[in-house]
Amino acid sequence: MSEQELPLFDYNEVEIGEELGSYEYVLTQEMVDLYRRAVDDPDAVFPTIAVKHDATSLSLAYDDQTGSVNAGNEIELHNPPVPGKKILVTGRIHDKYVRRDKPYLVIEATATDEDGRLIEKMRTYQLKKPEELGKKWHPQG
Amino acid sequence: MASARLDGATLPVITKHITQDVINQFEACGILNRSNIHNDPELASRRLGTTYAIASGRMSIAFCTEAMRKFVGAEDFHRSGNVNLKFLRPVKDGDTVSVHGQLNSREPQDDGSTMVIVDVYCENQNGDKTAVGQATARIGA
Repeated sequence: MSEQELPLFDYNEVEIGEELGSYEYVLTQEMVDLYRRAVDDPDAVFPTIAVKHDATSLSLAYDDQTGSVNAGNEIELHNPPVPGKKILVTGRIHDKYVRRDKPYLVIEATATDEDGRLIEKMRTYQLKKPEELGKKWHPQG
Repeated sequence: MASARLDGATLPVITKHITQDVINQFEACGILNRSNIHNDPELASRRLGTTYAIASGRMSIAFCTEAMRKFVGAEDFHRSGNVNLKFLRPVKDGDTVSVHGQLNSREPQDDGSTMVIVDVYCENQNGDKTAVGQATARIGA
């Protein structure tokens, strides 16, 4: 992926429903093998989970200096991806809201392969104030 | 075969030992090749105030998909599975994470299949829950 000048991410400016664009890559057998080692599961077939389609969509659309922590993830599986095939991903801002004074951003990505098979949908609930979790985990720190 | 596995009401327990190496392998499956709070302790320190990098919550998603695949069968789970987790505590190098689940309900669908709903959680070696949520699959479609 080539680096390019991206607009700075501004939580207040992004809009619900905003399209984050699309990108594609070839899922290689090496990615499958690496994923299987990482999760210690020789039968795992969705290395796309680790590609983080939704977060990658956001990273390719914005220069996010804030960072985030995942408060939650949801994945829908539809068809196992086939190594060697191209994966096409489209991302969008699914939602944003403030809860207990903490800003959350919900990003979503849909992945299909080059034959048009729906592979998966991934949704991530990002807390856009990551230092808050650090305080929670290390209240004395 | 899937229905035979569902004679039990409990997911097979999946246990994983987490090291920084496997966290790094998981991150290396991505297509952006960037430092983040999972593979860069210094960045995690700046963003979170932690003294360590944290495992991506998506690793817990992956572990839950393995448990569900073994519970309902790969054929059904890979085409209709869903895992939805809320993350409660960080997982890091040295932790041991186990996935547990209890069958919540089986709901007959109009097409003759059955929607299986499982309450799932992940806990660490101290017995603290690191993630909670639900996983579903449509079996016998």
